[in-house]
Amino acid sequence: MSMWLWFRRGRRDRELDEEIRAHLAMATRDRVERGEDPRAAEAAARREFGNRTLVEETTREMWGWSSLERLWQDVCYALRGMRRSPGFTAVTLLSLALGIGANTAIFSLVNTLMLRKLPVEHPEQLVEPSHRFQDEPHFNTFSWRQYQYFLAHNHVFSDLTGMSGINYDFGAFFHVRDRGPEAERVGGVCVTGNFFPMLGVRPALGRLLGPEDDRLNAPGPVAVVSWSYWKERFNLDPAIVGKRITVDGFPVTIAGVTARGFRGLILDSPEDIWLPLAMLPSLAPGRSLEKNGNVMLVGRMKPGVGIGQARAEMAILFKQAVGEGPAGRERSFLSAMQFEMESASAGLSRARDQFAGPLVLLMGVVGLLLLLACANVAGMLAARGAARQRELALRVSLGAGRWRLVRQALTESLLLSGSGTLLGIGVAWLGATALVRIVASGRERLEIHPVPDAHVLLFTAGLAVLTGLLFGISPVLHVWSTAPAASLRGAGKGGDTRFGRLLGKALVTAQVALSVGLLSVASLFILHLSDIYAGLGFERDHVLLATLDPSRAGYSRAQLARPYQEILERLRALPQVRSATLSRVTPVLGAGASRDATVEGYQDRPGELRYLSENWVGPKYFETFGTPLLRGRDFTFQDDGGPRAAIVNQAMARHYFGDGNPLGKHVTFDGDPKPYEIVGVVGDAKYIDPREIAGRIIYFNAFQEGHLFPRFSMRTRGAPAAVAGDFRRIANGVLKNAAVERITTLEDQVDATLVPERLTVTLSGLFGALGALLAAIGTYGLLAYSVARRGNEIGIRMALGATRRGIARMVLGESLGTTCTGLAIGVPLGYWARRAAAGLVPDLPVKGAAAIAVSAVMMILVALLAAYVPARRATRVDPMEALRYE
Amino acid sequence: MVRREGYKNRIELLQGTLDMLILQTLSWGPEHGYGIGQAIRSGSGEVLQVETGSLYPALHRLEKQGWIRSEWRASEHNQRAKYYQLTAAGKRQLTAEQGRWNQLSAAIASLMHPGESEGQA
Repeated sequence: MSMWLWFRRGRRDRELDEEIRAHLAMATRDRVERGEDPRAAEAAARREFGNRTLVEETTREMWGWSSLERLWQDVCYALRGMRRSPGFTAVTLLSLALGIGANTAIFSLVNTLMLRKLPVEHPEQLVEPSHRFQDEPHFNTFSWRQYQYFLAHNHVFSDLTGMSGINYDFGAFFHVRDRGPEAERVGGVCVTGNFFPMLGVRPALGRLLGPEDDRLNAPGPVAVVSWSYWKERFNLDPAIVGKRITVDGFPVTIAGVTARGFRGLILDSPEDIWLPLAMLPSLAPGRSLEKNGNVMLVGRMKPGVGIGQARAEMAILFKQAVGEGPAGRERSFLSAMQFEMESASAGLSRARDQFAGPLVLLMGVVGLLLLLACANVAGMLAARGAARQRELALRVSLGAGRWRLVRQALTESLLLSGSGTLLGIGVAWLGATALVRIVASGRERLEIHPVPDAHVLLFTAGLAVLTGLLFGISPVLHVWSTAPAASLRGAGKGGDTRFGRLLGKALVTAQVALSVGLLSVASLFILHLSDIYAGLGFERDHVLLATLDPSRAGYSRAQLARPYQEILERLRALPQVRSATLSRVTPVLGAGASRDATVEGYQDRPGELRYLSENWVGPKYFETFGTPLLRGRDFTFQDDGGPRAAIVNQAMARHYFGDGNPLGKHVTFDGDPKPYEIVGVVGDAKYIDPREIAGRIIYFNAFQEGHLFPRFSMRTRGAPAAVAGDFRRIANGVLKNAAVERITTLEDQVDATLVPERLTVTLSGLFGALGALLAAIGTYGLLAYSVARRGNEIGIRMALGATRRGIARMVLGESLGTTCTGLAIGVPLGYWARRAAAGLVPDLPVKGAAAIAVSAVMMILVALLAAYVPARRATRVDPMEALRYE
Repeated sequence: MVRREGYKNRIELLQGTLDMLILQTLSWGPEHGYGIGQAIRSGSGEVLQVETGSLYPALHRLEKQGWIRSEWRASEHNQRAKYYQLTAAGKRQLTAEQGRWNQLSAAIASLMHPGESEGQA
């Protein structure tokens, strides 16, 4: 392109040049013929012709494509400028790449989880009904009876479809054997016959499931697979239709392939195979739709029905369905549920429930970071603009059009932002991959694939232009404020306007303010996470968790007490193990059990919840997990055969006995007449989730009456992972053929439950640090420039008796001045950001000013650090040297 | 700056008129830029002086519009020069502009000398 441009241009230029030369020659000849002196004639002809360059310039304008050519010139000019100051260019590109990359990465996740529509017909009509207890996650599981009730009585849905996996709601899979000898795990669910018709998904090949397939004893069970499954497993072989495969040991025929792109309705776990729901009882023995066949529901609203209307009717139907259902505990349980309904246009996602708040918040954080990066680049451009003031003034005086200069400045800015964006796309790709890895590191299996679709590309391109214009304003203002004569006259050393100085200061102030905002959000999250860690009630480090599968060891459950005790004793004998135990559940494993109980000497209030969370633990459980024993004693192996012993937590002791002594009191459970005697009280520890409020927990001795569970825990002296090999050796030594199922550390188990918190802490911390770094660079740049500019002033001051300390104080004072102005704006900004954050993430410790105070102090330190080098340089100014320049 | 003095007693060309004058000049036959300038000058009795800064942009503009085309050939003094000549489109354009010019000058004339135009009507 450019080569061609230059070629065309060169030929046209030469022609124009020759045309003008011919003109001058002819004019001269005419004059000579009229009798003038040849030399005088030539001069006169030239004079008459006028400003040749101007004529050429205006003539070229007529060629039409000169705007393109000017753009090229501007680009070359900008590139030359960038090459001339590589440090500036590197810092600029880096901060823009990070800013734009971070925005794109987080936006791509927001897009995947919240914006991207399902590839079905009219996705905006789809809704997901669910129910929940107050303050608990919502569940989209309805009984078959409720589903039938909704189908029969609703007026708001054009259809309502049900799905069920054989094992889980989310992340359901089958074991499918297609070609090879081994069955493989393939994501998929059983669906009702109206599933595909309702969604309007079309087959890429064959046919999809319909109501005729979803009947008991339908002829020849069939399955439908996804396009990507077809591609990966069958290499797009059209003969796939009619192929027989085995699903969980059950032979089925493939009836068709869904349209490309459709992988089910659940974002977190893409599906590749669908079977009729009528097959569920065959695939999962013991499940019948009527008795215990829970289904996940998705409805399509009739055209014209709003989600509010649909929600209102369904809430009533839900209450009615519960009222007509079986009485007893289940009904009281269900009546306490709140019915909810949300749009399912972007798919169902449990990750969205967890991450929507944090992601929106991080979007805000990276938005602030990008603004900061813009202010930073604008500041650097302004400083450079000030240094170029003389050049600009000269060019304006020589007749350069201001628009041309403005365009040049904008070209440079857009070029910077464009290259920054290209780098940023790389950053975004790395960032999005890392983000997905963090998001998927939780307890539940998540498979999220952010794809850079049109939304993301548009977003990034928009950012590129926006940032270019944002920081491009500063040099443009500079150009406009250039008064040629004045700056040429005053330009002793790089002319500098009052306006330019103010602009530079304002930009640094903005950077300080923004980074205070970022830092206070980050410190808020750090405080939040450390609050959670501090409130666990157990010590999460140095504990190894290992689960055994003793089913092939040839022992009955009652016989396991001896070998388990032996394993524990051998573990305790290891020098690197401080204590070892076993239990039914370990802290925050995510599972638990509870029973309703009667406590001796306590009268239940009517309507009070009577349940106690329970756990069966071996001796030294509390020692191993670092939960303090407050009163009484721990369990022993000798409790077996003695009276039933129980240890309760502080929350339970306080609830039932207040300040009284719980030791020796008895607890009886519904349906189990034999009472337990309380022998000890321990501190409160989190049971299922680190964020829960401490509930009432009762512990039983696992070695009493043989309630043995193969979850072993060890507190180690060194790294917990180092004991894993010893555990395997000991476990296999004692129990032949017992497989070690799962080995992890308590720390990892805790962290897996805190993924959203850790994500926000890591990212906001990273971005906060980055912001502070940028603000430091900005402050440093401003001061370094200011010291260079005021060199002679400093020299005069020193000559007049100012001390070096005084000079240093002056520079530091200037730095503190902009910083304090920045703080004056940043602290309210920080307060506002915290309130916005608290609206998005529950339970944030927004009270107290610690977070903001910390970030303000950090900013002052950053400012002083940034001022150090310029201040030193200022004190080194040689008065004589400086004065000589005057 | 120097040349400004000389122009004071000459008439500045109306916007758009230059194009018509160029086309008119070329209707006599191909001519180079210098020749066009000279022809307008002498044809107007030294009243109209075309500045090169207007002439050459106008020529290149007209060529781009397709009203004139150019070729290099030797001048009468064996000097290589760029000759412009009217195209068919240029001829049509000239006719149109002449019509418009006649209308305009008649209208201005009737405004400037109201008595005469009344007498004619």
